[in-house]
Amino acid sequence: MGMTIIEKIIAAHAGRPVRPGDVVWMDLDVRSARDFGGANVVKNFRRHFPGEPLHDPATTFFTFDCNAPANTIPYAENQRLCRLFAREHGVRVFDVNRGIGSHVLIEEGVVKPGSTVVGTGSHFNIMGAVGAFGQGMGDSDIAYAFRFGRTWFEVPPTVKLVLEGLPGEDVTPRDVTFAVMRRLGSSGALGKAVEIYGPALERFDLSGRITLASQGTETGAVSFILPPSRELLEELGLGAEEAIAADEDAEYIEEIRIDISELEPLAAVPPSPTNIRPVRELSDVKVDAVFLGSCTNGRYEDLAAAAELLRGRKVAEGVNMFVVPATSRVYGRLLEEGLVDVFFRAGAVVSNPGCGGCASGQIGMTGTGEVMVSTSNRNFRGKQGNGLTYLASPVTAACSAVRGFITSKMED
Amino acid sequence: MKGRVWKYGDDVNTDVIFAGKYTYVVSEPSEMAAHALEDLDPSFAKEVKPGDVIVAGRNFGCGSSREQAVLCLKAAGVAAVIAESFVRIYFRNCVNSGLPPIRCPEAVRALEAGDVVEIDLRNGRILSEKGEFSFPPFSGEVRAILEAGGLLPYTRRYLGLE
Repeated sequence: MGMTIIEKIIAAHAGRPVRPGDVVWMDLDVRSARDFGGANVVKNFRRHFPGEPLHDPATTFFTFDCNAPANTIPYAENQRLCRLFAREHGVRVFDVNRGIGSHVLIEEGVVKPGSTVVGTGSHFNIMGAVGAFGQGMGDSDIAYAFRFGRTWFEVPPTVKLVLEGLPGEDVTPRDVTFAVMRRLGSSGALGKAVEIYGPALERFDLSGRITLASQGTETGAVSFILPPSRELLEELGLGAEEAIAADEDAEYIEEIRIDISELEPLAAVPPSPTNIRPVRELSDVKVDAVFLGSCTNGRYEDLAAAAELLRGRKVAEGVNMFVVPATSRVYGRLLEEGLVDVFFRAGAVVSNPGCGGCASGQIGMTGTGEVMVSTSNRNFRGKQGNGLTYLASPVTAACSAVRGFITSKMED
Repeated sequence: MKGRVWKYGDDVNTDVIFAGKYTYVVSEPSEMAAHALEDLDPSFAKEVKPGDVIVAGRNFGCGSSREQAVLCLKAAGVAAVIAESFVRIYFRNCVNSGLPPIRCPEAVRALEAGDVVEIDLRNGRILSEKGEFSFPPFSGEVRAILEAGGLLPYTRRYLGLE
């Protein structure tokens, strides 16, 4: 019997063939904790496994991205607790300068196609962007994984999702992602893995794949899994032998086809990431703030697309724009290419890498009634301030910042 | 176990169960309980009694992976959550924290706020004045972890630490 990609990965890490519905113990190649959650992982570990070793310090990591650098004393104390634990056990810390943990683990080559990875963030299934198994988990789950290097997991059924056709040039990977969200809804993929195919996907680089994979959580999916293309493996510096693919006779619980050839720029209207509307219908919404960044759209390509639109232009009077690169590598490349200068001259705030306002941290929160256009991943009430958050692509974010209302075009 | 029903709708997310602003600031169980469901139902934390049960629709616990969204309900004395469906991370966190997450759409459709229910976990039955409902009993590892009171107590027992 053939297996889907997630079944293959779980089988390889459980040491036996698996079928959807099986509950198995699986080995985890990489275990990590962020600053948001990490302190509780440490407390749980110390309480339940006092004096005991980690499963493997060399493949255990802390990634500080939520509140980076700490802006309150409790957060500083939590980070200190993690740093002390890391020193004691010989664990590497990607500290507050390095950026969003899930991205860093991909950049560092720690996570590859077929890897199994867990962390304390609900978007850890972003690893599906490189054909890896990633899962966000709670603090005690991660404490257990730190100690034993494995976890229990129920093998999910897999849906095959095919994106048909190629969209026009004004359509970004985020808009394609919104089309998927519109089709699946907030629980359309609940408890399932979703393998995604199609000619448009073949053209997505790592940043576009990350954008799409990052939104699996918002449909209830265990993970969106994107089979790595040859170009992606090259981008990651990996050989063709690192590819992973489903078997030809793999069994899918459902096949979904979405025609994206006629797609137009889309946005998610508060308070749900699957409440999708065409951007052109939102032109009467005045904007107070714009947030460009997050694990969904904080890559170099995302920020560069916005910068090209902002070059020689100014953010509208009364609008505040915040730019938060996903990682220090993204930030470095923005500097080298002169794009921090472009953002600065446009009147935007550029901060150090990390999650920014998307994680209830600093940079980019709204007050009551204020409207934010954000490239982040969720627009639940309270997530990015007390105001109203509209999720949109970096292109829509840049155009809305300059024009002061929600739009995907600099000129009509 | 026997308790009163608190009834909510679909897509109850982790931000309304336990707000991000409290997540790593509030850690005492009694204080966590005081903020449970604060942005969904301000009366809940004041009036909830030990043994009460939350009954909700589809996609319960969507959003963040924060375990506090389970722990605050446990701290408030909630004995179980019955929903049409759960988000995977929340389901795991319930099991790992020893709070039974029960999938039972029939019970969700029938039960209303204030109803008194009795839950038989071993046999997968919910008894109430609205009728009797069944759900697949937890099996294997999941049952063992729930019965131990969560993943870490389960492991301590497994390691012979208690």
